[in-house]
Amino acid sequence: MDNHSPVPMIELRHVEKYYGGLHVLRDVSLSVRKGEVVVIIGPSGSGKSTLCRSINRLETIDSGEILLEGAPIPQEGKKLAELRARIGMVFQSFNLFAHMSVLDNITLAPVDVLKKGKKEAREEALQLLERVGVRDQAGKVPAQLSGGQQQRAAIARSLAMHPKVMLFDEPTSALDPEMIQEVLNVIAELAKEGMTMLIVTHEMNFARRVADRVIFMDGGQIVEENTPDRFFSNPESQRARDFLHSLHADCEGRAFHE
Amino acid sequence: MGFSDLLTKYGAEYFQALLTTWRLTAVSFAGAFIIGILITVARVSPIRPLRIFGDIYVQVFRNIPGAALLILLVYALPYLQIVLPYDVCVTAATILIPSAFCSEHLMSGMNTIPPGQIEAARSLGLTFLQMIRRIVIPQALRSSVLPMTNLLVATMLTTSLASQVPMRPRDLTGIVSYINTHDTGGVTAFVISAVLYCLTAFVIGKAGSLVDRKVRILR
Amino acid sequence: MRTGNIRDYLYESPGPRTRKRIRIITGIALLGLLALLGLIVRQFAVTGQFDAKYWYFFAKWTTWRFLGQGLLTTLEAALTGSAISFALGFLLMRGKFQGKLVRGISTFLIGFTRGVPTLLFIYFFFLVVPKTGWKPSAFWKITLPCAVSACGVVAEALRSGVNAVPAGQREAALSLGLSERRAFYRIVFPQAFRFVIPSLIAELVIVLKDTTFAYVVSCADLMQNAKVLISNYDAMLSIYLVVAVIYILVNYLLNTLSERIAGSQRRSGQTIPETNKGVAAHG
Repeated sequence: MDNHSPVPMIELRHVEKYYGGLHVLRDVSLSVRKGEVVVIIGPSGSGKSTLCRSINRLETIDSGEILLEGAPIPQEGKKLAELRARIGMVFQSFNLFAHMSVLDNITLAPVDVLKKGKKEAREEALQLLERVGVRDQAGKVPAQLSGGQQQRAAIARSLAMHPKVMLFDEPTSALDPEMIQEVLNVIAELAKEGMTMLIVTHEMNFARRVADRVIFMDGGQIVEENTPDRFFSNPESQRARDFLHSLHADCEGRAFHE
Repeated sequence: MGFSDLLTKYGAEYFQALLTTWRLTAVSFAGAFIIGILITVARVSPIRPLRIFGDIYVQVFRNIPGAALLILLVYALPYLQIVLPYDVCVTAATILIPSAFCSEHLMSGMNTIPPGQIEAARSLGLTFLQMIRRIVIPQALRSSVLPMTNLLVATMLTTSLASQVPMRPRDLTGIVSYINTHDTGGVTAFVISAVLYCLTAFVIGKAGSLVDRKVRILR
Repeated sequence: MRTGNIRDYLYESPGPRTRKRIRIITGIALLGLLALLGLIVRQFAVTGQFDAKYWYFFAKWTTWRFLGQGLLTTLEAALTGSAISFALGFLLMRGKFQGKLVRGISTFLIGFTRGVPTLLFIYFFFLVVPKTGWKPSAFWKITLPCAVSACGVVAEALRSGVNAVPAGQREAALSLGLSERRAFYRIVFPQAFRFVIPSLIAELVIVLKDTTFAYVVSCADLMQNAKVLISNYDAMLSIYLVVAVIYILVNYLLNTLSERIAGSQRRSGQTIPETNKGVAAHG
């Protein structure tokens, strides 16, 4: 009945991080099961980005443990690079390699890291670009694409590595409103196909639609954790209530994204 | 002396001088580029003594006047029992000074790389060396084509230092001073050298622009 | 187009093994550099260059005063040369905004002055100009060629400064009724000038370095005075070293000033695209 493996895909245990004098992560514990989609929301400065980035060690932590499939993440060297190859990351500012074509962006890592043959990598890259809807942009350089197209290409770039889990750090926050939907659709598709995902976002309707679990963070702590239905209709903590209210007031009059 | 007289009398010497200047420029730029890369590696490394050494090297050689450096090499070094032949001294000066600027341009080129590119490379699982090879070096080099073109021209101008020591064969500046001290070259003698310098600089500039347009990174 | 400082984000937080490796290599590098320094010092000692006879006169006030006079002349020549090159460069820059013929001449002159080494100009003023009857003093024989050599670069720097002033400034001035001329001199150019101050200071450094060729025209600048000291005290290495250090320090301070100004402009949002890296690339 339970087809999820007993070992969680991602696990954080009592993670603490200080940035100078600032306590950016306070005793954060969290686990994500295989195939689960976890969405993290919260005000800016709540530490949600830091949490996301610490999973593939783009940020270091001061104490606590972070585990991928039960093994603690390596701190340096080849092992760390191997770990990162298994985790896909999508950035707020896309970060496509500016000096290469979109296609080369996608094939770079599979060829250099996974040691795939160039031809095979190219074919797969084109298929992925087709899947996210930017196949016709394959020969162009990133600067020639719109934000939405760049982000979708960035998602394809991560997918080319066949990651076990994908991290999304505010994937649509840098996009013009009319392009947000196309990117969210791609992410939703991935969720449907069973990819384990951790998404940091401000898009509440999207969270409601796609998440298995919603985590609300504030001031470096996980304040509340629940299924989206229960969380959005009846938040338990005052802080979460205040946060959702402030968003609602903001959203009034703004087109909902679904 | 008229133009045609000058050419008949000194045409061969002018041609030699042009080749000398070209040769010096090419050798100096190549040397400056290699040293520039080494110094930049030192300045960018996580090893603090190397960084400090690289930074001091750059500050010394970008601020020292060419004449002062040349005089030190030619006249002062012998007192340390290091006697170098004239052409070695000139070449050392024309390599050391541009090498400092070369490092500055490479650093500028590297500084144009947004941090996000590095993070993306890392998060895809590229090792540090793979990242340097596939992301940092290409982007740094392609962003520094125009400054490097200017540096090549500047190196050519620096080779005029060769005229300050009894170096044979003479360069384009040395030959003008020779003609005007041993003969009456007048303005014409200058104009010939000046035009040859300018044409070289013009061609270098155009070539550099072409290369830049091809490899420039759109952001 | 400087964004950040690559040194800050090229490396990630090192793990324990990496930290150890860095410590070891740092130690080796430090030893290597110290050994290099030791070799140099040893060479000085072996050849007797640390003897008092080569250094005692630096304790005398007269020595420094004499060097100071030379430095003053050097600075005078550099500043005068820069001022003249600014005036010439300004004319050339204006020329590029005029009609086809004037623009062509300006472009040619700018290319000419940028493509010819300063030494050649200096020889021109030294060897050819006196034969025409005009006999400038040694000071002008070094200052003028340096000025001519620099004016092309200055013209380009000024041009990129003018181009960096938003078009709206000129348009607003014109729509307020100012003439084209007034709009340029009262509104556009003052802003352009502020943009290019760092480049102009960098060019001052280049002119200063060019003035060291003053010995060619026998002008009594720092280098010349150093020569006099050398013939007095017969101490070539020590004096030339000290003089070289003086030049390096003066130029370093000027360059730092230039970068400081550019940095503060960048922070307050008024930068120009650094299309003119050519200014700094001059040997």
